[in-house]
Amino acid sequence: MKRDFRIERRYPHPPERVWRALTDRDALSKWLMETDFEPVLGHKFQFRDKPRPGWDGITHGEVIELDPPRRLAYTWRGRPGPDQPFNIDTVVRWTLEPDGAGTKLVLEHTGFTGFRGVLVSFILSTGWKKLMRTKLADAM
Amino acid sequence: MGAAAQRDAVFRALSDPTRRAILDRLKRREHGVNALCAPFDMSQPAISQHLRVLVDAGLVRAEKRGRERIYTLEPHALKLAYDWLGHFEQFWTDKLDALGAFLDSEE
Repeated sequence: MKRDFRIERRYPHPPERVWRALTDRDALSKWLMETDFEPVLGHKFQFRDKPRPGWDGITHGEVIELDPPRRLAYTWRGRPGPDQPFNIDTVVRWTLEPDGAGTKLVLEHTGFTGFRGVLVSFILSTGWKKLMRTKLADAM
Repeated sequence: MGAAAQRDAVFRALSDPTRRAILDRLKRREHGVNALCAPFDMSQPAISQHLRVLVDAGLVRAEKRGRERIYTLEPHALKLAYDWLGHFEQFWTDKLDALGAFLDSEE
């Protein structure tokens, strides 16, 4: 089990096309979320989604890596409300590689070390598993 | 407390390194407050304050035994939070499908 995750996809479209879909705000608004993103290093932006309990629906980002059409990274932060500390403080990184006439796209979402690391270490510990089984058995 | 509120309380509780260290000690076995204080360079009231946050989040159970309060790990709250993190993976899986559909639609 890993603390962070990585997803790899292949698309039959050239890297330039995929890059545009990842960096053009109108394109992003169509497949990802409403946004004021700009492919400019240091640009601060938001993704806007429907608020849910525990999250105000706004993802706060800042472009931290930009190497068209190969590499893009931004921070990905979320919180329950405007006056609260970020309880999601992570990084999303996109890597594009030519794959024949298409593109191999890798998405990495990292930085869950704070809480996810703790959760994973608990889940991997035998004592915890045993405890969980007992608790779950009790609950049923 | 609803599931979302509890999950939030769990994340807030886990955001502090002292509280994570306390949980880590409780992972091995239950402890009284004095034993919990020992490895920390902190007063007992400060540790008790952290313990209260953990109890409120449902991560730790306090039980009076004789003259001491014994603290035990309550792993179910962690499980809820962990399951929720899995939703990110689902989110991106769906979004990458949507990206594929978007690219195809541009043809």
